[in-house]
Amino acid sequence: MTVAEDISADPAEPAHRRARVWPVRRMLLATLTTGIVILCVVPFLLVFAISFGRKIDGAAWVWDFTLENYQRFFVGILWPEEVTFLYLQQLGYSFYFAVIASLLAVATALPFTLLLTRLKRSAQAIWLVFIMSSLSLSEVFIVMGWDILLSNNSGLPKLFKETGLTQWLKDVGWFQQLRDWGLANPRNVKFKTSDFATILTMSYLVWPYAVILLYPALSRLDPSLNEAARTMGAGRWTVTRTVTLPSIRLPLFGTTLLLFVFLLGTYVSVTVFAAPNKHTTAVAIYANIRGANLNAPFGATQAIMLLLSASVCLYLGHLFNKRADAR
Amino acid sequence: MDGLVLKGVSKSFGGVRAVDPTNLEFAKGELTALLGPSGCGKTTLLRMIAGLEDPTRGNILLDGADITALPAHKRKFGMVFQSFALFPHYSVRENVAYSLTIGGMSKSDAYAKAETLLDTVQLGGFGDRRIGELSGGQRQRVAIARALAQEPDVFLLDEPMSALDAKLREEMQVELRLLQQRLGITTIVVTHDQREAMTMADQIVVMSNGRVEQIAKPQEVYHKPANAFVADFIGKANFFDGVFADGGVQIGTLQLQTQAPFRSGSAVKVAIRPERAEIDDRPGENRIDAKVMFVRDLGPLREYHLETAIGPIIVEYAVGETGPSLATGDTTTVRLPPDALQVFPRGEAA
Repeated sequence: MTVAEDISADPAEPAHRRARVWPVRRMLLATLTTGIVILCVVPFLLVFAISFGRKIDGAAWVWDFTLENYQRFFVGILWPEEVTFLYLQQLGYSFYFAVIASLLAVATALPFTLLLTRLKRSAQAIWLVFIMSSLSLSEVFIVMGWDILLSNNSGLPKLFKETGLTQWLKDVGWFQQLRDWGLANPRNVKFKTSDFATILTMSYLVWPYAVILLYPALSRLDPSLNEAARTMGAGRWTVTRTVTLPSIRLPLFGTTLLLFVFLLGTYVSVTVFAAPNKHTTAVAIYANIRGANLNAPFGATQAIMLLLSASVCLYLGHLFNKRADAR
Repeated sequence: MDGLVLKGVSKSFGGVRAVDPTNLEFAKGELTALLGPSGCGKTTLLRMIAGLEDPTRGNILLDGADITALPAHKRKFGMVFQSFALFPHYSVRENVAYSLTIGGMSKSDAYAKAETLLDTVQLGGFGDRRIGELSGGQRQRVAIARALAQEPDVFLLDEPMSALDAKLREEMQVELRLLQQRLGITTIVVTHDQREAMTMADQIVVMSNGRVEQIAKPQEVYHKPANAFVADFIGKANFFDGVFADGGVQIGTLQLQTQAPFRSGSAVKVAIRPERAEIDDRPGENRIDAKVMFVRDLGPLREYHLETAIGPIIVEYAVGETGPSLATGDTTTVRLPPDALQVFPRGEAA
């Protein structure tokens, strides 16, 4: 029996009062349901419907039911004469950047949050307020900051050159390695455009979320578990590997997944820091819906495919967790 | 000396002294109970022995070797925590085998030894269970088996019975003592329960406010408490304040004869155990008129709560023992035998 049923079936409540209350409750429930449907389901259904629409050359688009957009997404519009995986590749880059950036954010937020939970309560509160306040910064603002920091003319590359670090890298032979990784041109180090800068800014964007999501689980972690492991001969790394990480496996996994899904839609960082041939689906969606292409049906198709891919990932994550729990 | 020795070990947290400089010896194969009220420093002392806290001063020696700076994971001391600290993500078998597998033993050998240990603590067949499926008593046994798996030099238990109900606690006290005697491991138990300490320990260390008040065998701690605090903390006692005069203690207008040597004029505190006081109407020394205020039947014991000129006195008789049959409101005489009176200098906490 649910709580609602339990309350409604309260025998102490007079029958005439129950009869009056029921319609009010039903109306409230119906209003809320309608609100949720309008706000959440209708926009999604609209996008889904538009994804079957047709682009009119030189104009906007019309309602239709064509699978051309989906065909274009998977194999290109000229299939079967010509096959292109451009849009699948964009989806692949969406996953590539989102996976690495979310892992990097969690990997760096984890030790920080662990240390944070060991501070005094007052110090923890100050840090948390500081971290939460950084969430108010918009993506545009953060990327602008990183853009200046990594800019070839005024940022870190200039600092490298002025301090002689670039020359030192050349002298020890590491400069060529940086060039191979795309982090240097013949004269100096460069971070724009590079996967490194893209991933770094994306990680930075979600890092406060990682701390805030991990904090409750880590602050609840029983310190006697670690101490027990230590008394049984486990060194610091063994304790982390065999006790701490398995104890917070679910929150760790949940946080990574949430950040990953959030980062799939990153737009500004990718536009500014990723090479054009590595632009993601999110950037392509914008180009189709608001940008130069003006092909809303195909943009909607890409959005649907991004959503479906994320859902598949979440489901696989859920299965993985269930299997791990069963083991 | 063989065994564990603490030499002047103390601990301060900031400006707060948690443990005063302490000298203790834990003989090999014996069980010592660190007994005292909450916040007296007994757990801090145990954690310093385990290597989980660094002493502010002093040295810890094991079989003559200084292990003060040795980290916890290199001490080979098994520890059972108050919360048991079992790993919820491992099965019972994996918990017990933990120290063995991380120590490099093959899984099959480690699990075989874990099963033997589980048999030892009467949990044979529980190896595959998850920790969440165990009762409090079973968890405690798993924690004991896990701590014993590495064949520790010293076995440490921090309030191991506090999470158990009263009946199970009494059973486990006896079981744990028998197991410790069978294995012959030097064992230190932290407890605030004097019955637990009396049941299990070869030696009791009574602590208060970070200080060791008495180190003695259980019966000695009970019958010959070192001071008023110990007399009050271990068992029950009737207390009276007085002044030592003419070989006895003057309490108001009453002179009690005692066997304690004190300087005349010293302010003293007198204690007597309820079972050593007697209801005795015959004339003689140390007899005081009393009125029965309350009779408390506790099954095997009966307590008479008396009001006297020197304050309230509780007299205790075992049921079946030859004793008076009094009711509330009766008047009688209570006798405080001189050899049963314990006299302490006043000023000590009681």
